[in-house]
Parts: sequence; C-alpha cells; structure tokens
Amino acid sequence: MGMYRFKPPMSGRMGTLYTLASIKDAVLVEYGCMGHMMYGRVFLTQAGVTDGCQLYSTHIDETDISLGSTARLERVVAEVVQKENPRAIFLLPSSVPTIIGTDLQAIAYEMQDSYPTIPILPFGYGGFDIEGNRGVQEALHLLVQKLPQKREKTEKPTFNIIGSCADLFRFQEDSAEIVRLMKGAFDMEVLCTLTSNTTVGQIEDMSGAHINLVIRREGEKAAKRLQKDFATPYYVGRPYGVEGTTKFLEAIGEILNVVPSQAFIKTEIAEATRQIDPTLMMFRHMIHSHSDEIALSAGGHADVVSGIRAFGCGEFHLPAGDFWCDCSTMSSEEIPYYSEKEWSETVKEKDGLLMASGEVLAWAHKSKDLQIANPDSRWRVNPYGAPFVGFRGAVHLVDLWLNTALEQEESNKK
Amino acid sequence: MKEVAHLKKLSVVKSNAGVKFLTPAAFPGNHCPMHTSLSLSSNIKGMSTLVVGTAECGIYSRRVVEKSAYKDSGLHWTYILDSNEVVFGCRQGVIETIRQMDEEGAKAIMLILTCVPEVIGEDIEGIVYEIQPEVKAKLCFVTMGHFKCNSHPSGFWKTLEALGALMTPTHQSPKTINVLGRSPEEKHIPMPSILVQLIKQGFTLRMLGPKSSMEDFLAASDATVNLVVSPYMNPLAERMKKELDIPLFSLHDCYSVSDIDHILQQLAEYLDIDWGDAFAVEREKLQQGEAQAKQILNQVVYTNTPRSFLPPLPLAFYLEQFGMTACLLHIEEFYPDDRRWAKKLIEKNMNPLLCHMVNDKEDTKLIEKLSPDLCFGEMKDSSGEVAELSHLYELYGQLGYERSADLLTRILQARLKSLDRKEAQNGNVSL
Repeated sequence: MGMYRFKPPMSGRMGTLYTLASIKDAVLVEYGCMGHMMYGRVFLTQAGVTDGCQLYSTHIDETDISLGSTARLERVVAEVVQKENPRAIFLLPSSVPTIIGTDLQAIAYEMQDSYPTIPILPFGYGGFDIEGNRGVQEALHLLVQKLPQKREKTEKPTFNIIGSCADLFRFQEDSAEIVRLMKGAFDMEVLCTLTSNTTVGQIEDMSGAHINLVIRREGEKAAKRLQKDFATPYYVGRPYGVEGTTKFLEAIGEILNVVPSQAFIKTEIAEATRQIDPTLMMFRHMIHSHSDEIALSAGGHADVVSGIRAFGCGEFHLPAGDFWCDCSTMSSEEIPYYSEKEWSETVKEKDGLLMASGEVLAWAHKSKDLQIANPDSRWRVNPYGAPFVGFRGAVHLVDLWLNTALEQEESNKK
Repeated sequence: MKEVAHLKKLSVVKSNAGVKFLTPAAFPGNHCPMHTSLSLSSNIKGMSTLVVGTAECGIYSRRVVEKSAYKDSGLHWTYILDSNEVVFGCRQGVIETIRQMDEEGAKAIMLILTCVPEVIGEDIEGIVYEIQPEVKAKLCFVTMGHFKCNSHPSGFWKTLEALGALMTPTHQSPKTINVLGRSPEEKHIPMPSILVQLIKQGFTLRMLGPKSSMEDFLAASDATVNLVVSPYMNPLAERMKKELDIPLFSLHDCYSVSDIDHILQQLAEYLDIDWGDAFAVEREKLQQGEAQAKQILNQVVYTNTPRSFLPPLPLAFYLEQFGMTACLLHIEEFYPDDRRWAKKLIEKNMNPLLCHMVNDKEDTKLIEKLSPDLCFGEMKDSSGEVAELSHLYELYGQLGYERSADLLTRILQARLKSLDRKEAQNGNVSL
C-alpha cells in the first residue's frame, strides 16, 4: 500500500462485496461504519447490479468499539430475517471490526441456532494486505463450500459459470455470450452463473451441473471444491477471438466427451469472418505504414489481458505493445503487474491502441471506447451490449480497434 | 411504545453517541464525513487533499474528487495503510507523502484521516507540527472517523473549522463582512433581505462556503464581523472569534420576531447603521403568522425526518412558543451548539426522544405508529395518515423574517389541510 495519485487496488473486503452483491434472495449485512456500504452500493448500481442481494449495514460507534459489543449485528439480523425472509445471510466485516478483531465466524456460529433454516455465512479476508482478487476467490470458495446440496446430475446436460462477478468490466455481456456459445455448441443450459446472475437456490442446485466453466483464475479454488464434493469436472479459461473460441469449445467437448456442434461452430466462424474480413486490408495498411499507431497495449485483469493479447497480437497479428495486470499476486512474466507509477509512465503520450480501465484511459487521453477494466467512471445500465469474449466478442474487438485507430489517425492529421 | 424504548431523551444526550438509530438496519444509511470533508476541500480552488485510510476510502473518495469543479487546481492523493501501519502507525509514510505533494507544488493540503487511522490513534497533530516548518504548503487536518457520528455533517463543520488554521490576524476592514455558509456560486438562490440591505448600506459581503476559493478563506481574517447563515459554519465562526477577535452573529437559528428583532438591533449597533423600515413588510407578515399559529398550532404533536433539512433543536425551541410539542426528533448531527439549545428546551419542559433514521421505509412505519399530527420532511411510502411538510429544501439559504413567515405559512397550511381531511373522514364515518 502507501501513496496513490489514482485509485488504489481494491481490498479483499471490496472483492467479497462485489462477489456477493448480485446473489438474489440473500441478504448481506456489513458490520461496521455504514459509509462503506453507501459507497459500495453506488459502485454496484453504476456497474449494473440492481436486483441482487439486499445490502444492509449495522454502523458501529465508539462504544461498540471500546466494549467489543456486537449487539447491533444481532439486532440487524433479527430485523432482516423478519422483513426480508432471506434464503441466506452473508456477514461481512468492514475495516474497523477487522482491526479490533471481531470474530464474525463465532458470531455466525452462535446465530445459526436462532435461524436454523437460513444459512448464515461469515466472510473474511478483510486484512490490510489482501487485494480484491483474494476476496473474490475466497467468497466464491465459501459459497460453494457451504451452499450447494447433493443433487442428481440434470437429465439434460447443464453447466455452471464460476467467476462472473461485478468487479469485472462488462461481466454480464461476457457471461451471456458464454451461455449462448454453450447452447449453440452443446445444447446445454446454464444452471448457475456464479455470481452475477443467480439465486441462493441456484447455488444450492449447482451440483446438478455436468461441468463448471471457470472464467477467471479466482474461481478455480471453488471449482476444485465442487469437483471434490460432487465430482463435477471443470475448465478454466476465457474464449477470445475466433480461433480461441473454437479451441475453448473443443476443450470443453473433450472434458464432456462430446463433440461440439460443428454446424454451430461453422456458422459462427463464417459469420464472424464475414464481418471481420473487410477490415483486414485496412489493418494491413496501418500495420505496414505506421505500425506504432496500431500496436495493441492492454492493462487490467490478468485473464482478460492475456486473452485479448492472444487474440489481438496472435490470431489477429497486431503489433504488440505493453501488457500488464492490475493485481500484484497475478503478476507473471507474460503479464507483469504494473504499479500506478509504472502504468502512468507507460501509457502517457504513447501511440497505438490502448485497452485498460476508465481511469488509465482518461489519464492517457485515449478513447474510453476501449475500456476493458475497472475502475470505471461511467454508468453501465445496459447489460445487453456486445461482449469481449466469444465469436461475437471477436467481431466487437475488431470493430473497436479499427474505429479507434481511424479516429486516432484523423486526430493526428489535425 | 416498545419500538422506541431504546431511544434516549434530549435531556441525557450530550453528543452524537447518545443518538440511537430508530430502526437498526441501515438501508441505505448515510455517507461518512470523509465524503463531505473531501467534497468541500476539493471544491476550494487551490486546495489539495490527502485522504489517509483504507483501500475503500481511497477508491470511493476518488468519485468525490472526480466531481469537483476545481480538481485540477490542486493535488488529490491518498495514503493507504498496510497491515504493518495498522499496528505501528503511518506517520513516516504520511510525512513522505506530504513532502512529495509539497515538492509538486501543493499550496495548502487538507489532511483527511478516516476511520482506521482514528481508531489506531494516529497523532496527526504531531505529524503536522513536525513537518509544517519543513514544507511550503500550509497544512490543516481533520479526523473523520465515521464511528464518532451517525452522518456526514461533521465533514462540513470540522473541515470548515480546520480552515481557520490557514487564517492569520490582519488589519480589519470596517466595510467587509464574511457571510459564513453561503457559497459565492449560489447566485440562483434568492439573497435574503438582510444581506441585500447590508449591500445597500455599502458593505462588501465575502461569501464563504463550498466552492469559495482558498484566497477568500485566507483573506477572511480582515472582516469586521462574521454573519453565520448555516449551522456548519458556527464552529469556524467561534474559532475566528477566539483566535482573530471577529464577532459573530448567528442568523440561521433565529426564527421568532423577537429574536430576529434582537439580533438585527445588535448587528445595527455593532455596524453603526440604521435599518430604517427595510424589513417592515416581512416583519408584519411574520407577526400575523405567529398570531395565527398560536391559535391553530397549540397542542400539535410533531416529528421530523432526514428530509426536513432544518436543524431540529432551534426549530423546536421556536415552535414551542405556539404550544407545539416534538415527540421524536431525527438528529442528523448533534452540533456542539446543540447543547445550548437542549438546555433551553429542557427549561421549557420540552424533552423529546432523539433518534437517527437510516432506513426510510421502516422508519415511516414506526412514525405512523407514533401517530404525530405533523411531520417535518417527507416520509417514504407513507400511508398519508400523518400530515407531511414537504419540499423544505426550498428554505435553503433563506433567513430572517421572510424565512420564518414562509415556514409558518407551510405549517399552517399543512395543519389546516389535515384538519379538513380528518373532519371529512369523521363526516363519512357518521354517514
């Protein structure tokens, strides 16, 4: 941690909140100062999470801190049980209870006797060196550890998506494209999209799925747990590009021992190619005449950046710029972590296509159309837009790259 | 009523800590005082800010800065504590950050400490004392732990009070008056006639509030008098009285004809002016309103909601003279000055329950169970049984006879309408 001129990395508490907040039929009670939840609510609303958990806060005062009283939490839980009749209650500590060592696990354990039919789950990872990704990982893990019940595998094959959470930019569009791909390639329906489009009941039924699709690395721990408890296989990856999406479907087919629908894949490839092919001549010209201006750079979640790089600079042959991730624990040789000092120097006055967070793009004076990560500064009320993943995502990305390159070219001429 | 048994009465409340939630589950609740402190500071042209706290404070606070009209006129940074600093303090890191901000040209820095540094007892006063001689930037600080209050007003009044640290004694200009609590950009809000008259008498009014420039705050020590038109500004005015010997006249909490007469007379004497009959019409209107109120509002029981906007204790003191009784008062912030008002109310045998409302739908249900005659401020999803005084924000920025007359007109209209409705209901029943 330390000094920041821009937004600091998300905390584990925030990662947990953004993971849980979209789960319907549940109530989330944050134990701590209510300003936290006020801001969290603003973020979630702007990100498009409007019908998930009911979000409550207890607030906390000096007496609670000095005496270690948690009576507020008990009163709030009693009230929300009466008013909301929730299927599950999630308890989350804010920063002050984390410091004073409030034992939410013990409190939840004690409360559980009073509400035997409502699972009360205490979420942790509120420490001060823990980044948001860890909060997402542990929240996903605790959910699948505590909620899923033993179910028969569904008669008609189904799948779960693990890791579609509100902290990822355009999480709804991307998960919708995966649902479309799975329907087209395998005639499979989604059972649970953990967590962006799910209910507590759907999480309880997760074990009925035939495969878990983990679309970010933070979800692998949860998938392993489901594999151990219910023998559900899983696949980790995000489908970017035309070839990448085809390989994604083939890999899932291998796990399921089912060949994906060749007719679907053929049609999708043909459709994507029909849209993309007319642009190739323009891209070739730009790469040939001023390759710096068409070089692709990207910063954001390591899995997103990795996928976009593979499509853009691999399959699509754009010159490679800089690629970095926004989480220190995901740093790798391929996608290193950049601190704000590093990214702010890297992107300033740099030519080429830059895909990153709204904050980075604003700092670099680059087109906000190329946003692929949070922090965001705009409202995302439309969940029906174009995805970044899948066949349609490939077309979308090419569209964005071409138009941004043309706009930048026009701007440079002026 | 058992649902309000946990609340304390005015006579035993000495600070925010004594004001309990009416219903326990905050939904959505209130912003923390860091929000208002940062909003105010970042909207002062030329002021830089440093928020010291957790990642949440750092991330969410950037949204406040993004909305500031003058965000580019200063540096707006954060310092995020790690687990080591939570135990051993963040002194060194904060000092280094101040040095860096100074090197990059910050003229004045408002240091805003949030919950965690306040819980661990970080000695920000000591840090400022140590580093101030070394840096050119003027430093001031506020501690904004949300656990010390229920809502955000302390972010305003503590920050404004802290700005007093930037002021130094200077030669006083007899024709300059500070208006504490009115923004220079509030040209769309009608100017109260008291201020209009002062301009006519040849005084220069320096508006000090959100969106004032740092230069205005720095120059404020030359004024002959401080007129306080917002409760947020009383602590700064008190500080300026103590440290700069500038007298204050608190206008925002004067409602009655006699109180307004008194403060205007004192002000005229101090400034050596004569108001003449400048306020005659509005004074007459208020006199008539008060006479009518004594007849109609006697024994009216009332409460308020967070949408009442008017500080409730001075208002309760005014309404008491008509025989109105508060059964329950929502306190957004228990201001330092509220102890004085509490004492005055208790002397009048007025001792309502105090609460803080954080869940408007649930709070409405409880208010309706209390069945007061009148509620200052809208009630979310109400059944309509309790007469509501709505749109009270329209009184923002108003003062003196005209404000009180406007307020009484609204109260009387709401009361008469409610009586008519009840009469009609009773009539229907008898039919």
